[in-house]
Amino acid sequence: MHVIVATDGSRQSLAAAKHLKSFADPTKITDVSVVAVIRPLASVAFADDLSEGEKWPAGSFREAAESAVAAIAAVFDGWGPKVHKRVRSGSAANEIIKAAKQYDAGLVVVAAGGRGLSDAVLIGSTAQRVQHYAPCPVLVVRPAPRKPRKR
Amino acid sequence: MAHTAADPRPDEEDSELKRSITGRLLFFYTLGDVLGSGIYVLIGLVAAAVGGAFWIAFALGVSVAAITGAAYAELVTKYPQAAGASLYVNKAFGSRPLTFLVTVSFLAASMAASGSLAVGFASYFETLWSAPPALLVSLAFLALLVVVNFIGITESVWMNMVMTFVEVAGLLIVLVIGIVHIAEGNADFGVLTQIDTSGDFGSPALAVLAGISFSFFAMTGFENTANVAEETIDPHKAFPRSLVGGMIVAGLVYVLVSMAAALTVPPDTLAESDAALLEVVKAGILPFSTDLMTTLFSVIALIAITNTTLVTVVTQPRVLYGMAREDVVPGVFAKIHPTRRSPWVGLLFSGFVVGSLLVIGTLVTEAGGGIDLVGRLATVTVVLLLAIYALVIVTCLKLRGQDEHDRVFHASTPLLVLGLLGNLAILYFTVVDDPHSLIWCAGLLGVGLVLFLAEYFLGSKGTGSRTPDVEPHH
Repeated sequence: MHVIVATDGSRQSLAAAKHLKSFADPTKITDVSVVAVIRPLASVAFADDLSEGEKWPAGSFREAAESAVAAIAAVFDGWGPKVHKRVRSGSAANEIIKAAKQYDAGLVVVAAGGRGLSDAVLIGSTAQRVQHYAPCPVLVVRPAPRKPRKR
Repeated sequence: MAHTAADPRPDEEDSELKRSITGRLLFFYTLGDVLGSGIYVLIGLVAAAVGGAFWIAFALGVSVAAITGAAYAELVTKYPQAAGASLYVNKAFGSRPLTFLVTVSFLAASMAASGSLAVGFASYFETLWSAPPALLVSLAFLALLVVVNFIGITESVWMNMVMTFVEVAGLLIVLVIGIVHIAEGNADFGVLTQIDTSGDFGSPALAVLAGISFSFFAMTGFENTANVAEETIDPHKAFPRSLVGGMIVAGLVYVLVSMAAALTVPPDTLAESDAALLEVVKAGILPFSTDLMTTLFSVIALIAITNTTLVTVVTQPRVLYGMAREDVVPGVFAKIHPTRRSPWVGLLFSGFVVGSLLVIGTLVTEAGGGIDLVGRLATVTVVLLLAIYALVIVTCLKLRGQDEHDRVFHASTPLLVLGLLGNLAILYFTVVDDPHSLIWCAGLLGVGLVLFLAEYFLGSKGTGSRTPDVEPHH
């Protein structure tokens, strides 16, 4: 089975990758594709929160995406499946879904943001769209509730 | 530009260097960005300065801008990164203060442009619904764009293309009206050669220069295409064609629209109108209800202005983000919202500065400051951008022979020199004509200085790369 692990450079996407590794059976997985999507028309086309202390050149969002992909790929080092690093460009959800079709993926792993107001009210969350339109099962990894927040 | 190569690039086999901006999309991005800024807002000012022949001002202005676009195309093919002018100046001169000044000027120009466009938005909005005060409309418009940018739905390149089609459609309406007017035999072509020398500008040459200066805001915006340089397929082919091509098409549209407007409506009427192209539609030449046409045209103009403003609102936090990562402004501007992946601090800050510009501008206008806010903010944008454009052309010439490879596009040197002189001439005239705009420029640049000082005295080295404190679970 080919598994796609999507990253937007967030810590939560790293947590999602680790979560997959924590329960999945590496002998059942042939390939892991770590996919990052650069959004050319967004204010910050890609930001990498994962490479601690690293500095990619401020002008290159592509290198930011590459370093985030490398950080996620490092999670699966020596795990078994062949790991591919892929950087795509366009609208995040669309590209993840396209990648899933292209690689004939058996599972897509995405991180979702908070459980708070912003996810409930603001439309267009990437995880939501992937969930709705992916051609295969989707694992949406949410952050664990840590502190009770005001409702 | 410190770059530690600790992370190896993914090897060729495993990486898909898939880029998404095609030459066609880039063309529409340029066209949409340039067409929205100005002609809907500023045509009245230009007509007032020049008279019936104001199309000449558009033709000359867009030529200077297209040459500058060629310099950008050359530099983008050499350095296909998102940082634009700041990066080129840094490569050419290696001076941190100069790079900082250019970056802050670009940010200030973008903020003034947002302000001018937001006021322009309000004046077209008034024709649809005149109850709310203009200031409230422009502030609400701005707030809406900030929210849209925060959510991150600005990423749709197709949306950008659709909005560009709508913009072109609006200008086509003006052209059709002009053609119908000519076909009916009512057009007096003499008006196209009339240069008004009775006003503030005694000689025809000065009047035209004034027109170029006032119309130049309509030529700006193309520099934002550097934003997508890194994600463009075959930039060495796409940039020269799409950027310069987009400018030429925009110029052609401007000239034809100016002619159509001058033929159908007396230049005096255009000059007195806040939303001048509406006057053409209101002239009642097409056999449709004037009300219907006015509404339709206003909606189109609002979409056009929105398209261009959106690009400026997206650009400002991006510039702040880049500067924060270079440790020249507080690291808080590098903060990315953990789920939305937007630089929310930079967004709010830019929105706040532009909003303040609108409030201060409105107060000054109401206190009898004798300024036209759209024009004043447009002038501020133009002054800052002309200085940057001139410097980019110098940079382009200085970087000849450096970082050359066979996929670099080369702009014609004599043209570049001509473009440099053109930029400087327009800059000189604009500053002499409206010296008070320099106060506004200085005020906006002061914002950059304050941020720099805040980082210098309060910030610590390396805040830019500090990551948000989000603990992964498990």
